[in-house]
Amino acid sequence: MLPNRSRTSVLVFLLPPLLLYCAAVLFPILQSLFLSFFSWNGISDMEFVGLANYVRMLTADDIFWRSFFNALLYLAICLVLQLGGALVVASLLTSLRRGRELIKTLYLLPAVISTVAIAFLFVRIYSIDPVGLLNQLLHWVGLGSMERAWLSDVNTVLAAVSAPEGWRFTGLYMLIIYAALIAVPKELEEAAVLDGASKWTLFTKIRFPYIRPVWITTTIMATTYGLRGFDIPYLMTNGGPGQSSELLTTYMYKTAFTSTDFGYASTISVFIVIECLVAVGLILFMLKRKADS
Amino acid sequence: MIAQTAPASTPTGPPRAPVSKPRRRKPSLYRTLSRVLIMLIVIVQVYPLAWLFLTSLRTEQDFATGDPFALPGSLTWENYARAFETGDLGRNILNSFIVTMGANVLIVLFGMMAAYAIQVLGFRFSRFVRGLFLVGIIVPVQIALVPLFIDYSTVNLLDTYQSMIIPLAGFALPMSIYLFSSFFEYIPRETYEAASLDGAGPYRIFGLITLPLSLNTVVTVVLVNSIFIWNDFIFANTFVLSEELKTIPLGLQNYIGAMGKVDWTATFAAVCVTITPLLLVFLVLNKAMIQGLESGATKG
Repeated sequence: MLPNRSRTSVLVFLLPPLLLYCAAVLFPILQSLFLSFFSWNGISDMEFVGLANYVRMLTADDIFWRSFFNALLYLAICLVLQLGGALVVASLLTSLRRGRELIKTLYLLPAVISTVAIAFLFVRIYSIDPVGLLNQLLHWVGLGSMERAWLSDVNTVLAAVSAPEGWRFTGLYMLIIYAALIAVPKELEEAAVLDGASKWTLFTKIRFPYIRPVWITTTIMATTYGLRGFDIPYLMTNGGPGQSSELLTTYMYKTAFTSTDFGYASTISVFIVIECLVAVGLILFMLKRKADS
Repeated sequence: MIAQTAPASTPTGPPRAPVSKPRRRKPSLYRTLSRVLIMLIVIVQVYPLAWLFLTSLRTEQDFATGDPFALPGSLTWENYARAFETGDLGRNILNSFIVTMGANVLIVLFGMMAAYAIQVLGFRFSRFVRGLFLVGIIVPVQIALVPLFIDYSTVNLLDTYQSMIIPLAGFALPMSIYLFSSFFEYIPRETYEAASLDGAGPYRIFGLITLPLSLNTVVTVVLVNSIFIWNDFIFANTFVLSEELKTIPLGLQNYIGAMGKVDWTATFAAVCVTITPLLLVFLVLNKAMIQGLESGATKG
């Protein structure tokens, strides 16, 4: 603490940021919670319905459950691409002598580009008429039978909208993991190599345990970002065809701004928040147990 | 000698000196493989962007009929001309610029102030306030959409620059407070004590010591946040309706015509125009940006 600070000085520095933060973040959270107990279309009077929205969501809304499971699959694909891809590239990069900076930069490029641009780009990559990159590639490698309109096929659309999100941020997580990997003390690795440890043992026994804290942070980041994914599915398919690429976030958005059912939309967004909190809790719990055992 | 002269890759040669060979071979094979793999992944990562640029230079006919992997038959800048005619790219870029600047000023100034109050001045509930700010990192932005929409419509803020700047700054504030306070930890106590003895109060210390020292962190915070703000779609899409206020992500949607028909070559030209500013900043400052992204996560 500064020797001659005063209460006013604390307030002068703290109040403006706190007010902005309350207006934009804290107050809306409480408001959402409040709205979730009401039925309201924004025009007529608000009607208090108690837990009815929650009951409807959990017991009587098929689209909600469909979106929930879609969101989980979306998350799984994003995690595999982002964390798996990031870990592989980061490990490979440590064995490279030159060109690391260049590769890091190139690899991060997609993260700088707006989701709208990415959505446009991938709509073209998946398209069949005129033939897009993916279908052309399949044709060349002799898998012509797999060519299809990826975004209108009910079976492939969810994976097709998840991949761009995974693709986009792999570079970001790779950077973070790479920074952690090069901080692993060289003495540790050398000692293990002298003891005859293989690359794989070196990785599982020395490197990975060493970067575990960063791995936890990255996993939490990727998970919470995956659960709130919205832009790309919304822009590419708007949840369709049918509900086959509907996520909780896109469903919430449509409920709020297309059906103007503000109360029910708030219920869904409260659920999304709870889902994020539960996910973070689960990750911490699982990783802690694994570390203990 | 034998082990050295027998090239590892001749399939016809009899396997001589099997004991010493794996030692020489294994690392180089591993290295080659990992290089090839890295190159492949980088191609997957970068090729779509290169393709985007090449497509923006194709003629419409070439695009509709040609092989997508082929190089454009002839180059044309006409798509760019059409992109500027169809949309209001200049205006979109200006709007994105205003929103990014506005939000960044708030994020840097307020982030620094809050971190200063929490970390340097200190007060009784500082831990609680710090925790309060942490909430914003975990909570998804979607929760604010409906309430803010309602609030904005009651105070007539819908369809203004502020309607985008306020939530963008609010949700970015926690991370910026976090980065600033972890930097403030490294400013030695003695500096402040010395200044205090010379009669400087908290305001002068902030202005004359803390602020000038944190310029590097300011750059980091601005760069990292700019990426997300420049590309924001969800707040802009929810709170902005009028054409004059549309930022880049919204402007790009103008290229979808009636019945979802898209003028693809013009769209790709527009995409190229709009991603260029950020891409240039990124390529020039990528060291600082990469450092910022790394420190943002690893310090946690």
